[in-house]
Amino acid sequence: MNEITESQDQRSAAVSLRGISKLFDDVTAVDSVDLDIGDSEFFALLGPSGCGKTTTLRMIAGLEIPSAGSLQIFGEEVGSLPPNKRPVNTVFQNYALFPHMSVVDNVAFGLKMRKIPKSEISTRVHEAISLVRMTGMEDRRPNQLSGGQQQRVALARALVNRPKVLLLDEPLAALDLKLRQEMQFELKQLQREVGITFVFVTHDQEEALALSDRIGVMNDGRLLQVGTPEEMYDAPIDRFVADFIGRSNFLKATLESAEVVCLANGQRIRVPQVDAVSVGDEVQVSLRPERVMIGDLDSAPHDSAQLSGTVETETFLGNSVVYRVALDWMTIEVEADHRPDVERYHAGDRVDLWWRDDAVAVVRP
Amino acid sequence: MKLGAAELKREREERRRGFFLALPSFAYMLLFFVLPLVIVLIYSFATRTSTGSTALSDWNLDAYRKLGEPIVRNVVVRSVVLALVTTVICLVVAYPFAWFCAHQRPTVRNVLLIAVMIPFWTNFLVRNYAWRILLSKGGPISTFTEAIGLGEVDILFTKTAVVIGLVYAYLPFMILPLYASIDRLDQRLIEAGRDLYGSGPQTFRRIILPLTMPGVIAGSILVFVPSMGAYVTPELLGGGKETMLGSYIVTQFLTARNWPVGASLSFVLMAVMLISTVIYFRSGGRNL
Repeated sequence: MNEITESQDQRSAAVSLRGISKLFDDVTAVDSVDLDIGDSEFFALLGPSGCGKTTTLRMIAGLEIPSAGSLQIFGEEVGSLPPNKRPVNTVFQNYALFPHMSVVDNVAFGLKMRKIPKSEISTRVHEAISLVRMTGMEDRRPNQLSGGQQQRVALARALVNRPKVLLLDEPLAALDLKLRQEMQFELKQLQREVGITFVFVTHDQEEALALSDRIGVMNDGRLLQVGTPEEMYDAPIDRFVADFIGRSNFLKATLESAEVVCLANGQRIRVPQVDAVSVGDEVQVSLRPERVMIGDLDSAPHDSAQLSGTVETETFLGNSVVYRVALDWMTIEVEADHRPDVERYHAGDRVDLWWRDDAVAVVRP
Repeated sequence: MKLGAAELKREREERRRGFFLALPSFAYMLLFFVLPLVIVLIYSFATRTSTGSTALSDWNLDAYRKLGEPIVRNVVVRSVVLALVTTVICLVVAYPFAWFCAHQRPTVRNVLLIAVMIPFWTNFLVRNYAWRILLSKGGPISTFTEAIGLGEVDILFTKTAVVIGLVYAYLPFMILPLYASIDRLDQRLIEAGRDLYGSGPQTFRRIILPLTMPGVIAGSILVFVPSMGAYVTPELLGGGKETMLGSYIVTQFLTARNWPVGASLSFVLMAVMLISTVIYFRSGGRNL
């Protein structure tokens, strides 16, 4: 992990985790995570439920105290400070708006607690409410608002405090698809406008890809990989990451040299250079369905990696067709464009599959 | 939208079925609650004859006028004060306990809640006599305080003893509604309060307390109302010296043989309680 995290400049880190672990009774929820999140960065913690991403976020918020490790916010050690002493605010899952307070009172809560002068509270609250486009709804109660509106109030309630870091726990999960897409766009714009660090937790890989500057994928309490959305998609270093972000075929192989692997069927193929595994290791080659070309038997160009097989099933998806192609040692999924100029295959057809050497990634099994 | 004939018929049938199912309890309430209440109301307007019997004629408001007299006012004030003190002590004792219960594992929580109800398995009168022994001079408490050098405790037949007895008797009525409202409280709201720079006490005052207010009010009514009308505890632990409304009413019926006054006092007490309960349900409806 170190080769990734250390490339970040120590001084500019908004949030810095070193060996952070959290145990609940005897269960390890978060297992020695090292992570630096940059200033003004939109960072996503991505993973399945129970992977430790929310616990990590809660530790940054101060709602959980780490069992081990160091946690700094802009260089200040905050690991054991209570939440009200940290320069961060949280947008909770399902928003946790105070049901007995109006929109204005909800938004003003943090400022009142910090004993900010009344006149300033009023100005800042109205700024925040107009920032999230909720002007005119000030006197409503949370139960009189739609999900999207509640979401906006929750954002205003956090942002009005001008936190150094905004934490968002599955902020869009409770919204329906269409609203979610709208809010994604708004969230991204809002982050650019206010220019503060956003750390957000999600189990939705598309959301993470669409919103974030960088993504950290977690599983079983461990942070597996951190990188830009493109890096995570193109060059995953772990099978779990390749599988969780997008779809992929995994071909068993052994790393023979920095750029050559031997597949389980004995065939040698060239791969992009890898650092995460060493020569001689058992690895897997991640091959995205849409990066595999499909064509008639013996039509593959001779200079690229290729396999031959029989089409087992075809699934029509509108803009593409997904074929399951049976080789004699495994089955590979191929996604081909659905266009008039692309040949269409059917179950039982013998086909060639091929790909460019740089279309694959070698991952830890 | 207009309902079709078949729909209307079905709806009427369902309503009628509901009425028949509720009929036994309607009848019971009518016979044993509404009817006696009406009798009490009638008696409160009756006349006490010179022999002490009650004449159901010459309807008048004399009994209600008598309620304004100092002797009655003293009893009312004493009852209200003792009931208020009892309610406040119950609230202060019950809130932390209810909070603790609500944050335990389900098994521990059930054991604790059953423990709260165990005293009900013993007769109320017996429990009051037990307190009399506990509090008496030379009783266990007194012996203990003497042993550790605090001197003997002699509080039986005082207001303190009455309040101790009332708190003991009605504490479960405070704990249970408080527990219910604390258990319903969304933990994330507390976290949100803390996250938004609220200290522990601030979060309690601004978020936890307002959101558990329905439980606080329900518990307070459930403790205050029976405390006001308490009879057994003030008699046994107050020794009849600290007369409360309940005892005064009994005296009017049995000793003073002034049924109209006893009836009018009963009726006013009940009306006040009823009105405060209605106010609670109005405000509770808004909070919930």
